Amino acid sequence: MSAWLQQHPLTFGGLLLWAIGIVLLMPSRSGAVKRPSPVALGLTGFGLAAFLGGFGRTDAALVPELLFWIFSLAALAGGVLMITAHNPVYGALWFAVTTLCTCGLFLTQSAPFLAAATVIVYAGAVIVTFLFVIMLARQSGSAGYDQKSQNTVIACLSAFLLIGAITKTLQTTTIEFNRTAVAAATDQKQSTSEAEAAEDQDPEPVQASAGRSASGLPMTSNSVQLADPLQIATASPPPAPTPNFLSKADEKTPVGSLRGLGRSLFSDYLFAVELAGTLLLVASIGAIAIAPRREEGAL
Amino acid sequence: MNTGTPMTPEELRTLMVAAGLFILGAIGFVTRRNLILLVLSAELMLHGVSLSLVTFGKIHQTAEGQAFTIFVLTVAACEAGLALSLVLSLYRQVHSLDVRLWTELREPDVPQPPADDAGDGTPESAYAGIPKLTPAGVAPRAVPAETMTTKA
Repeated sequence: MSAWLQQHPLTFGGLLLWAIGIVLLMPSRSGAVKRPSPVALGLTGFGLAAFLGGFGRTDAALVPELLFWIFSLAALAGGVLMITAHNPVYGALWFAVTTLCTCGLFLTQSAPFLAAATVIVYAGAVIVTFLFVIMLARQSGSAGYDQKSQNTVIACLSAFLLIGAITKTLQTTTIEFNRTAVAAATDQKQSTSEAEAAEDQDPEPVQASAGRSASGLPMTSNSVQLADPLQIATASPPPAPTPNFLSKADEKTPVGSLRGLGRSLFSDYLFAVELAGTLLLVASIGAIAIAPRREEGAL
Repeated sequence: MNTGTPMTPEELRTLMVAAGLFILGAIGFVTRRNLILLVLSAELMLHGVSLSLVTFGKIHQTAEGQAFTIFVLTVAACEAGLALSLVLSLYRQVHSLDVRLWTELREPDVPQPPADDAGDGTPESAYAGIPKLTPAGVAPRAVPAETMTTKA
């Protein structure tokens, strides 16, 4: 533990500054609506930057690096300002900022469809509805419960213990997945393109390249394997089919492509999609049933 | 034991942004007292979960992370609709959004939390600190009232 603290002073110090900044920014006294103090804002921002910068240098290009820093810093700062907002309207607006920046991070993580869907669902529906409710339940003046938070120090302490534990765990453990398979998929792409180039010159090695791609990448298709009995006889037994193999990305459906996402949703997770539709139906019926009627009196 | 590969700094820091969003939502859920801010904090936690799911999906090169995120989005939409109707029906009963007013389910030996301490007689406007536009330019000439009425 202490060795980890000595190895990553930037991460630890960033977390500490961030926590202190949140405690200082939280609304703590009733009465006057005070502006957030610049000292606390600076502490929080510096802590955020130090925390994110403490994970080592990357070899990414300049533009993805800049996009990551802009989106992640704005998302986290928007989250801090949202939970410390004295006015719930500003809280909802900072939540919209955080949502948009999370969508930007989705884009950098190669999920463009999810970014669009999140913008539509959150910015188009959720934020508007929340603002509507805030305006509906608006009181004359600011309410006392917005000016005073409860259990601030102990909540920040436990939450930052949690994120410290997550940081140490993610930094010190390794993940068991086959990076070589991912690299092999790209190699496969290159080899098939080479094979296609060879096919253009000579029509003979079509069988060989088809057999090789079938044995190298078991999720492509079974019919190719069946079509070549010699290959089945000589090759090693095919690996056991992995669960949810239709969700794996290959060279035709890279991660984040709408084709791959739809294939995963409507084959591997078809029952879950049906359940999600049922959940939406039940939730909308329940929301209509719970909401106060007009004859029950105005708000 | 550790035969895998460690994560690259890009993956690590994106996961940590997700964890940061999650704990910010957790802090907001515990500390704030406005019911609407509680629901918004829960949505912030869901954002963190979605971001880490997408990142893990990219690490493992599968579409499962993004498929799960679509389910998270569905549940978040359901939760927002139900929570808002619940908040409205609670607000109609006590005319306040304070979460401390709803303590019927606490254990009997837990003391009653202090009630809404807004009653210090200082109804502050929420727009107190916002700068206003200074009046500028020439003041418009006052139009006599009969010229406007005789037009019609």
